[in-house]
Amino acid sequence: MSPNLLLPEESATRVMRRRLLAITGTLLLVGTYLTLVITQPMGIVEGLGRGVALATFAAYLAAAVLLLLAVLPDLPVSTLTLIPVALALNIILGQFVGSVMVPLYLDSIGTVLVGFLAGRRAGAATGVLSTLIWSLFAPTVLPFAAGAALVGFLAGTAARFGALRRPYFAPVAGLVAGVLVGVVSSPVAAFVYGGTSGVGTGAVVAAFRSMGDSLLSAVTKQALISDPGDKAIVFLIAALLVYALPKRLSGSFEFIRRHRVLGQRGPK
Amino acid sequence: MEIQKNSFTGKSTVLALEIERFRYSGAESDTLQSVDLELAPGSLTVIVGDSGSGKSTLGALLAGMLPRPAADECRGSINLAGQRVQYSAQDSPRIDVAGWAKHVGLLPQEAGHYLSRIREIVAEELVFSLENEGATREQMHQQISTLSQRFSLGHLLKRDPAKLSGGQERLVALAALSVSDPSVMVLDEPLAGLDAEATVTVTEMIARLRSGGTALLVLSRTAGPWTASADAVWTLANGHLHKANGASIERNAAATAVQRSPIATDGRTLLEFSGVKLGYPKSEEPAVQGLDLQVRAGECVALAGANGSGKTTVLKAAAGLLKPSSGTIQVSAETGLLLQNPSDQLFERTVLREVTFGLPKKSAARAKVPEILAQLGLSSDADSHPYELPASARRLVALATVLVREPKILLLDEPTEALDIWGVAALRRVIDSVLAHGGAVLFSSHDQNFMDQIADRVQLMSG
Amino acid sequence: MSRSISLHPFTVLSLAVATVTITTAAGSWLLGCAVITACLVLAGWVGRLQRLVVMAVAILLPTFASLLLIHGLVATDASALIAAAGPFRVTTGGLETAMTLGLRTAVLVVVGLLCTLLIDTHQLVAAIDLSPAPPQVGYLLAASLFLLPQMAEKQRAIGQAQTLRKAGTGRGLTGWLKRVRLRAVPLVLASLQDAHDRSVHLAARGFPAAGAHTRLRAVQDSLIQRRIRWVALFCAVMGPLVILAPLWGSK
Repeated sequence: MSPNLLLPEESATRVMRRRLLAITGTLLLVGTYLTLVITQPMGIVEGLGRGVALATFAAYLAAAVLLLLAVLPDLPVSTLTLIPVALALNIILGQFVGSVMVPLYLDSIGTVLVGFLAGRRAGAATGVLSTLIWSLFAPTVLPFAAGAALVGFLAGTAARFGALRRPYFAPVAGLVAGVLVGVVSSPVAAFVYGGTSGVGTGAVVAAFRSMGDSLLSAVTKQALISDPGDKAIVFLIAALLVYALPKRLSGSFEFIRRHRVLGQRGPK
Repeated sequence: MEIQKNSFTGKSTVLALEIERFRYSGAESDTLQSVDLELAPGSLTVIVGDSGSGKSTLGALLAGMLPRPAADECRGSINLAGQRVQYSAQDSPRIDVAGWAKHVGLLPQEAGHYLSRIREIVAEELVFSLENEGATREQMHQQISTLSQRFSLGHLLKRDPAKLSGGQERLVALAALSVSDPSVMVLDEPLAGLDAEATVTVTEMIARLRSGGTALLVLSRTAGPWTASADAVWTLANGHLHKANGASIERNAAATAVQRSPIATDGRTLLEFSGVKLGYPKSEEPAVQGLDLQVRAGECVALAGANGSGKTTVLKAAAGLLKPSSGTIQVSAETGLLLQNPSDQLFERTVLREVTFGLPKKSAARAKVPEILAQLGLSSDADSHPYELPASARRLVALATVLVREPKILLLDEPTEALDIWGVAALRRVIDSVLAHGGAVLFSSHDQNFMDQIADRVQLMSG
Repeated sequence: MSRSISLHPFTVLSLAVATVTITTAAGSWLLGCAVITACLVLAGWVGRLQRLVVMAVAILLPTFASLLLIHGLVATDASALIAAAGPFRVTTGGLETAMTLGLRTAVLVVVGLLCTLLIDTHQLVAAIDLSPAPPQVGYLLAASLFLLPQMAEKQRAIGQAQTLRKAGTGRGLTGWLKRVRLRAVPLVLASLQDAHDRSVHLAARGFPAAGAHTRLRAVQDSLIQRRIRWVALFCAVMGPLVILAPLWGSK
């Protein structure tokens, strides 16, 4: 028996393959979004509208799955065990917090937490996976996987560039992330479902529609009202949770050590 | 299996470890210093150390799980399977943990952590590592039948791994560990928290592994059950390893017997259960039925009984968390309950903030906090994060949060679990002081020794 | 009474995908209602009707309300006007749009939930593990489904522990914030620590598999089922194309 106690180095072709998947996924997402915004397909119910719905659904889902396949093999086991926890936190904390305050969803606390602790790839994977698994209980969330990936990705990016070094940076980063996520997710709501999934958000869209906006711009404006605030609060809560971790635990994440995510508070 | 001849002792050695020093990333002092260890096939080595002495660190080092590259500082080397792995300040090798585990298996203190907990039945859990290697179904079925024969696991194979008792969990984890037939097994507290029956089963299993030629290293708080069979007993203190002598091993037994004034026979009844039936909403079987129990002032009562006999349920009911479905519970004083798992309630960044949480500023209770911390031996940890403390101290922090409310009736769920001897001593001081102030103590336990020493009477729960 | 369906999980899923895409593309009232009825009958046959209805209604009710608000209340089309007041315009066309969109979502929800109720999760995990998907996917699915109820239980235990120490009883916004912190911090701390503790042992047991991996559990499959899957996936893609292609010219 030849014992292999040490790990081999990583091969270059695997890295290339993953990069290719990530680029394809991103292009698919951006391409679909631009096509929808530029062509502004009319009539969501009759004829081609049904095709647009199916195509948007499929393209957003496929993009999310490609991004997932690109990052998944890269993640260390310590991050993999974190993802199920994040998913459960998304749901449990979202329920607990959401049951008190009305207008926000707060369903991405776990995803943002993983982004903060383990970086943007891990965050993106968490976003996609938690949406895929949550779709077992609520199938309508499926095409929003791409938006969830973006939340995790942006959380990781923000943490990398110092959003956690001061507590007040985090909500600002959340605000920016909210704008991007809101814009990217709107076509799904508009073209696949023809509206939103909640009464409150629906009322806001209706208000914009009555002022003469197209469905897409009404949904986008609604998202720009709810998402930044929602993400700002989620980023803040996640940041406070990271601060509460003992240093030995937060220091066990290579991402935190390497990018000095926590600044003065973090491990030396 | 390759066995290396060691030129110095002439004995065959499967693993030799020489660690000059080990320090966790960000820590201010070394966790281990000049630790040398050699393990021979079929030997049993015991390392005794208090909670926080570095036992678990040593175990993780042996299992190749530490040091983490580019984080922890480690100097030294490990000889294993004919290879020499060198750790130096500049570079720690990137260890293939799975490859290493084929030679050294580690049973963690919390055996459940070893189980993947994603499989439906125990049989699947046993061959999890074989599945990852791509073994064929026939090979796996054969392994399962071999294992279940060797360790008498037949009755567990179809069970849900998430619903095993502590002892069964350890059996399954040990069996799963031995699938890859490692030449060394490191067992962290393999007998902690087991009742008498489970202790026998696990000990038997360990003996079988040893007779099969596996070198065993046991990490334990007490040498007690191992002294008779061990080849070598070491003590680990402050990161240094010493050959144990008889006196230091037996120091636990020297704990003094209780010297309390006898209870006044007219002591007021503080807690009374009469004909109580308790159950949880979702289960049909009641957890406790027809319970009659009186606890008087100055009295210390133990609840004994097998796992699942309803001990915790009784304590929760006494604390007012559960309402009886029939019968009455009379509580005539303030209660305080220490739950089994301290991590359910700790949330502050320092021990001091944790214990003072929710107490009004300038209140009498807040003024007593330093005294309580001193009583529990936690004064020097006041500024530490509760999670960074060893398990024993963490349990005491949770006890402190109960004590600041000055309960008259102290309810303790498995209080000695995870406590080292200092912790047990502190616990006894606390119990004595509650009783001396006219309070009462009701606790559940598996620890026969502790019950004999401290309890005035034992209530046996039959489930 | 509960019966079970011993189909390969992927067969169920691919049939579901085909059903949803074709129904959506056809956009017919009749077909939509027929599919939903069929799903309900099937759920009744396996004894899960009540769960299906409860879960579906919980999702669909707010969605319907939102669609009625957006399309029914402030319609912008030129069809027959039913009522109008200020900015509000209710038209037959608007209501029809809302109902059609609602039905489209309902088909997706009911078919999707029926899949969840029909498929045994352990079989699904095994099927994923035995497929060419990365080994991480099966683990993550299984671990999440296992953790959810466990962490919900943990959340209750934390609530109990905090009640015992009489913490978290404040009122108003600060009281609420304090309660959130009391509940969230121990849960996050404990579960992250637990995940961290487990990861090393998982790695030691060879996860994720570097090469080929196998499963002890066998997932029943047959040639017919494999063919059904291919046909279903083919229909899922080609069905909408065939239905919608004639409309290209008519635009």
